[in-house]
Amino acid sequence: MNHLPEFPAEEERYRALHELDPRMPGALEVLVLGLHDESWRVRHIAAEALKRLPSPREVAERLICVLGERGETGARNAAAEALAGLGGASLGPLVRLLAHPDPDQRKFAADILGQLGQRTAELPLVQALEDADLNVRVAVSEALGRVGGEHAARALEALLEDPEPLLRLSALEGLALLRCPPPLSVVVALLGDMRLQRSAFRVLGLVPQVAATERICQGLASPLRSVREAALGGLGTQTALAEPVRRGEIEAVVRAALRRLPDAAERLAQALEADDVTVRAGALVAVAALGEASLAVPVAEAAREDRLLREVLNTLCRLGPEGGRALLARMPDLSLPARAAAVEALVDLVDPSSVTALCALLEWAEEDLRAGVVRALGRTRSPEAVPPLVDLLVDPALAGVATRALGVLAGSARPAVLAALEEAVENRATPAAVAALARVGGAPALPALRRLARDVEPPWRAAAVEAAGEVDGAVGRELSRAALADEAVPVRAAGARAMGRLGGPEAGALLLPALHDEDVSVRLAAVQAVGECGAVERATELETLVRHPDGALAVAAVRALARLGAASPHVLREAAGHPDAEVVKAALSAGAVSEEGVALALALLGHARWDVRAAAARVLGDSGGPECLGAARQALEAEPDALARQTLSDAVERLSRR
Amino acid sequence: MSRFDDSRPEMTVEEFRLLRDHVYSHCGILVHEDMKFVMERRLWPRLEALGLADFGAYHRYLRYDPQRHAELEAAVESLTTHETYFFREPSQLKAFCDELLPVLEKRNGRLKRLRLWSAGCSSGEEAYTLAMLLKDSHRFDDWDVEVYGTDISRRVLALARRAEYGPSALRATSADLLERFFVPAGNNRVRVRDEVRSWVSFGHHNLLDETGSQLVPRMDAVFCRNVMIYFDQAARRRVLRIVRDRLVPGGYLLLGHSENLLNLGADFELVHLRGDLVYRRPELPGLTGGEGR
Repeated sequence: MNHLPEFPAEEERYRALHELDPRMPGALEVLVLGLHDESWRVRHIAAEALKRLPSPREVAERLICVLGERGETGARNAAAEALAGLGGASLGPLVRLLAHPDPDQRKFAADILGQLGQRTAELPLVQALEDADLNVRVAVSEALGRVGGEHAARALEALLEDPEPLLRLSALEGLALLRCPPPLSVVVALLGDMRLQRSAFRVLGLVPQVAATERICQGLASPLRSVREAALGGLGTQTALAEPVRRGEIEAVVRAALRRLPDAAERLAQALEADDVTVRAGALVAVAALGEASLAVPVAEAAREDRLLREVLNTLCRLGPEGGRALLARMPDLSLPARAAAVEALVDLVDPSSVTALCALLEWAEEDLRAGVVRALGRTRSPEAVPPLVDLLVDPALAGVATRALGVLAGSARPAVLAALEEAVENRATPAAVAALARVGGAPALPALRRLARDVEPPWRAAAVEAAGEVDGAVGRELSRAALADEAVPVRAAGARAMGRLGGPEAGALLLPALHDEDVSVRLAAVQAVGECGAVERATELETLVRHPDGALAVAAVRALARLGAASPHVLREAAGHPDAEVVKAALSAGAVSEEGVALALALLGHARWDVRAAAARVLGDSGGPECLGAARQALEAEPDALARQTLSDAVERLSRR
Repeated sequence: MSRFDDSRPEMTVEEFRLLRDHVYSHCGILVHEDMKFVMERRLWPRLEALGLADFGAYHRYLRYDPQRHAELEAAVESLTTHETYFFREPSQLKAFCDELLPVLEKRNGRLKRLRLWSAGCSSGEEAYTLAMLLKDSHRFDDWDVEVYGTDISRRVLALARRAEYGPSALRATSADLLERFFVPAGNNRVRVRDEVRSWVSFGHHNLLDETGSQLVPRMDAVFCRNVMIYFDQAARRRVLRIVRDRLVPGGYLLLGHSENLLNLGADFELVHLRGDLVYRRPELPGLTGGEGR
């Protein structure tokens, strides 16, 4: 097999570098030798190992020397890879390299500084735009697009007037990366240059003005596919960045432009197949504007790209019942992601004529899609949808969603839904039908619910107790009281939940045994119920649960105490010391508006978990006084997590205004 | 949220992050920052099924509920896209057939045994494709052949075992192959022929689970295409360690056309075929092919 050459010696070299002790004297030179190896794997492992050496500055200086070895392409590329991997330690040597007499070296420096993407390189790179060598200037321009900053954006904008097209192109691309569009008139002027057109449309998409949309739409009419697609890319970007209220304005402009094109649908179908995801995004916006139902299938197929799901759903929902019928007819042909998106959209697109096709889909669709089909059936407003929905109540996976769908359907077909549910309960099809019956049947269903609350099987008793509470408070309380003494766990838990919803003067006393139940799910339901019904006399029992090792119980207890207005400073401190971060966050939330809560938040700014620190910052932003500003600023400076930093930054801003 | 309320709760950035981290720690799948909407849409049916009011409650459910392990699997299933089709990436498959299968035939000729692994097999199209290619080559007709398909999603494994597919899965399948390897199954769908299915088996496996990977036999080649795109660098390294461990020395790893092992420091060597680049677990010194299983 001469095309599958063997590399026994290479493997040995690879292993040797892989296992090299980075603290070993001379390790640096061994690894530099590895950078010069003929094998890609060996060079790569050497570059990786160089990152682990104890003196990164020394390594960076040595690697800079390797960059200067002309004729050693593999070694230079591996050294560049290693320098990029060294991070901050490479910055100084690379900035100095920007002044090297060899333009090749200066270009390497710019490329790697771009990869590092560190803002401290911004000014040296801006200065390097004065370089005499065009290739270096282009590399610097590209690097500035990655490094960013105000100076970088200004410098790139100035380059748009450079006579050299390559520089103008890299500057435009850089500005697109930085999302810093130059003034509209500047971009429009660049659209005339075919070499810059694609990038110019991309930047045009960053301009939030109707005039920009109009100019993009002129591109949609181009006879050249590349120009049309560039324009669609701009449209996709503009729509994604636009405020929701501007969406209608953009679509109106697009609609007007597309209606002038006799082959608009065909062009959009072509664009939906484009490789560039921003082009497909723009095509989706255009299809939505046009309301072109014949494109329902390619639109659904665009959902194969996860990032387009929002736009796909939005577009499908704009295609109306005709689009829904097109999707239903082609369901078996769609890919799985397309089918999932189509099913989700169908919930909004179905009408009474869809029932048969939806039922057919239920026969073979994937398990998680069937829930969507069930929801769609509930929205058909057709009595014909009742029997299949009632049949689904026996399916444990779909019973809940079928119950809700029947509830929705009862809005337009109540008699049919009610009759079917009564029959389902009578035939003991499923306890899930009980909740639906109570919801749709109301008070006339109470005798049936009373009977079912004495049923032999616990699931029926549990369902009846909870359902009765939704129909009639007095009956609900009576049945809940009995349920709390039931021998079956699900029934006791149902009794606690129902009692919590119904409340009443006796609720606290009745829930006491459940708070000490042997089963944790009953205790959890009881804790939540105490909070829900406001049984403040049970606060003592809840306080003991704040320290409970079961995080779920402790969280529920803290939340319930907060609802009761009984989250004392002592409780908050206890909860804040809980090993489970969810309990700590519950404490912060419970004390959010109190002095104790603010004190707690200040103390928790240094918590080990980012989500606790973020929760603490939120409390400070909501309730802290100006005296908290210093601590918040200090925490902001030290905060390593981006999301917590954002929350802290918001808090600092709010605190500074007080 | 009312039981009959059709409105959906919005996922906050913080809830997104907590759920994302939870999924990541379970299976290494990294949901990118810009996928919040996708996560929200895909997990909402789970909230609906469980009767939960918001994503914070769903996170607590995943943390505390006795059913949390099963629910986490359901969440992962909802989040992973399973878009694949038969005879995907034909140039790679051609290189596999023309250049690797002869090597494997020669190497394993004494034992007459061949093991291939479709890691992250989704609904089975790739595993069946490999079996079809082996059948088509006629090199292994009297061999002990197994193509293993594994996936973290039990739902797609059920689809794979059913072996019924619609037009979308067949979009790169020629009429000739369709005729030879499938039978009609009604409703515009087809079923993989039994002779192909007999060479393919499926199993549930989390690619990050080193203990579970011991159940996977030593393989002559692993197809792990368009799977590692779901992982971050650290998880990719772990997956590659497991894949390497499951390969016989000299066994091949085939990735998707947009994937490579750059920056992963993996213990594989790059093999330049005429039609593709593949990776290979280096041979152990002193051992010949077919050993070390």
